[in-house]
Amino acid sequence: MNGHAHEMKWHTSYWPLLVSVGILFLAPLAFGFYFVYKMPMAAFICLGIGAPLVLISIVGWVREGLEDEHGYSVGLSVWAMPFFIVAEAFLFVGFFAAYWVTRLTAPFWPPPGTPDISMAVPIVMTFILVASSFTIHLAEEKIEDEHYDRKGFIFWLVVTMVLGTVFLGISAFEWTELYHHGFTFGTNVFSSSFFSITGFHGSHVLVGLALFLCMLLPALSGKVNKAFVKSASIYWHFVDVVWFFVVSQLYFW
Amino acid sequence: MSSTMVTGSVETHHAAGSGFSLKEWVFTTDHKRVAVLYMVGAFAAFLVAGIMAILMRTELASLGPTVTDNPSAYNTWLYFHGAAMILGYQIPALTGFFANYYVPLMIGAKDVAFPRVNALSVWLFWMGIVVALLTFVIPDPPDIMWTGYPPYSIITGGNTAFYTFTVLLMGFSSIAAGVNFITTIIYMRAPGMTWSKLNIFIWCTLAAFIIQIIFVPVLGVAVTMLSLDKYLGTHFFNAAAGGSALIYENLFWFYSHPAVYVIFLPAVGLIYEIVATFARNRIFNHMKMVYYGIFGVLALTGVVWAHHLYTAGIPNWMVLIHVFTTLMISIPVGLLMIGLVGTLYKGSIQYATPMLYAAGFLFLFLIGGLTGIPNAMSAIYMHLTDTYWMPGHFHYVMAVSMTTAILGGTYYVLPKMTGRMYSETLGKLGFFLFFIGVNITFMFTLIMGVKGLPRRYYDYQQFPELEWMQQWATIGSYIILLGALVVLVSWLHCVFFGKKVGPNPWGSRSLEWTHAPRPPSGNFGGR
Repeated sequence: MNGHAHEMKWHTSYWPLLVSVGILFLAPLAFGFYFVYKMPMAAFICLGIGAPLVLISIVGWVREGLEDEHGYSVGLSVWAMPFFIVAEAFLFVGFFAAYWVTRLTAPFWPPPGTPDISMAVPIVMTFILVASSFTIHLAEEKIEDEHYDRKGFIFWLVVTMVLGTVFLGISAFEWTELYHHGFTFGTNVFSSSFFSITGFHGSHVLVGLALFLCMLLPALSGKVNKAFVKSASIYWHFVDVVWFFVVSQLYFW
Repeated sequence: MSSTMVTGSVETHHAAGSGFSLKEWVFTTDHKRVAVLYMVGAFAAFLVAGIMAILMRTELASLGPTVTDNPSAYNTWLYFHGAAMILGYQIPALTGFFANYYVPLMIGAKDVAFPRVNALSVWLFWMGIVVALLTFVIPDPPDIMWTGYPPYSIITGGNTAFYTFTVLLMGFSSIAAGVNFITTIIYMRAPGMTWSKLNIFIWCTLAAFIIQIIFVPVLGVAVTMLSLDKYLGTHFFNAAAGGSALIYENLFWFYSHPAVYVIFLPAVGLIYEIVATFARNRIFNHMKMVYYGIFGVLALTGVVWAHHLYTAGIPNWMVLIHVFTTLMISIPVGLLMIGLVGTLYKGSIQYATPMLYAAGFLFLFLIGGLTGIPNAMSAIYMHLTDTYWMPGHFHYVMAVSMTTAILGGTYYVLPKMTGRMYSETLGKLGFFLFFIGVNITFMFTLIMGVKGLPRRYYDYQQFPELEWMQQWATIGSYIILLGALVVLVSWLHCVFFGKKVGPNPWGSRSLEWTHAPRPPSGNFGGR
């Protein structure tokens, strides 16, 4: 029961509240003004309030997290990540379940309006994403205690980020191509699922890249948090695994 | 544990922390303060959603327009009442308020695994409340009940987007809390706090959070698709383009039936704690209740959802399977009830206010459970569905019995939170008003259902003979409101004028009561 004098202080953090307020402006309010009430100006103002709030809060949160490096939470994040991934997996289960039911009850497939979707593009994308899973693993190995090598870590992390960005770039290219063939969000039931699922997966890649950026910037000034790297890497492998489902179900079935 | 030392240190804490600091509340990451933030938000939602119920009951008190002649206004009340009661009040009160307050104290931990994520959970929940409350100021508020079924939710002029975002914000909050608390319970138990020594409330909370992280994402997907369909022109639920509204209904209930157990399990856990304390008895077959009761519910929770869809046009084999699984899940639930009665058996029962609520729970849940069994059978369901029988049933089984657990649990924890004792007179008065009120309202609701009165409508011109029952149900709802106000007064009275009490006024044998009232930041100290 010693150390009470120290613990008398209540712990506080600005970022959880600020990021929540940011999300309120960024998502419900901006979306509501733009799509429901057709007031684009108000929507942009909400974006202008929400986006900086969220960004500042993330930066502040990461800095705060790196400061209490010896806090008990840090090591636990690796153990918590699998539970988070369970939740993430069920997000995709929901989308795929809707897609499977729609497809299996359809009288014919694909529905009219669907152009030929290139098989080559997803194969290239698969190679890139799988490669990035290997590179993040290499980065992870560089910060093991026996042969700690921060420069090597940064190198492989940057390579991973480049691969992730290229993946997103190809995805964007593919989307524009399809868009020019008249295949858009609202074309038919397949396009609804196609763009939702690939877009949703893409947003996960984006979140992964954001996590890597949150590791890279502190790493440049010498701060590396092993548990953070490990958790982000588990998440990245998960995004990779989901991609196999996306490819097999949407492109090759 | 040397209680004198603990008391001593807490006294200094009182002296040091006597000044109220807004910053230390708003930006807090401490689980006990986050619990209070959840509590305030949840009971605020309860009050506003309750006022909606009073408006609806008043509207129904006479044939023809009573409060409003605008059926859309009634739809909006119906939407807010359901959405706020379930997403804004019951789930946050049980998996937010009680889980936050109890879990670290019961397992002997300093705090939850991720205190900042915990604060994020509570504030995302608050943002969800904000979006829900915007219902009252925006033009074209949501009017789609809490279920948001397409095609109506897509073709309506109401704001379906805010329904989607309320669910998404609360959903993210629940998932973050789920990951946080599962990690806490598994990895942060004090040395010596083995699995077999855990309080039954901890088991219940763990099971509830496992349900949350598995099923909430599916609801998130369903409501996201809803807004995609309405605002971005996709065709998930558009039958004309080859989609199906049934997909929404299945995804929605795939979460929303397990959500009943997310509410039920922590509630029954609280009742167990209360009954064990006030009957001065060991929990009847403690580990069997965990293995067969709680795990039984957990095992079946994902395969019963389609009993909400018997008449929606699903295949017969699916109906048949869900008749069986639904009847089966009443076995572990019934087992948990038997455990409660067994704990009372030969106990030395002391009827303080929390115990009265626990006894009320047993009665109300019995009626709720028994009215549920005919619903599970598809042939009887055909006749009862979409009548007042259904709201009667689920208000008994879910709304009011879980509310007895929440109110009783709050009375139980108040001396720990405030260091003061509530007034037994006010507490008992509030309980009896509530208990009598709910029975009047929902007995008549059940009977009107058997008479065939269809639910959800704002008027009942074809059933003038039922007007007197509607009036009784409305009188009951006013008694409930009065009871709720007495409860609120008794809590405020406790916080400001209650008599000071020691660490363990109930004589409970559970870990959290060994600690002095108003535990300081860091709880037990140590690592």
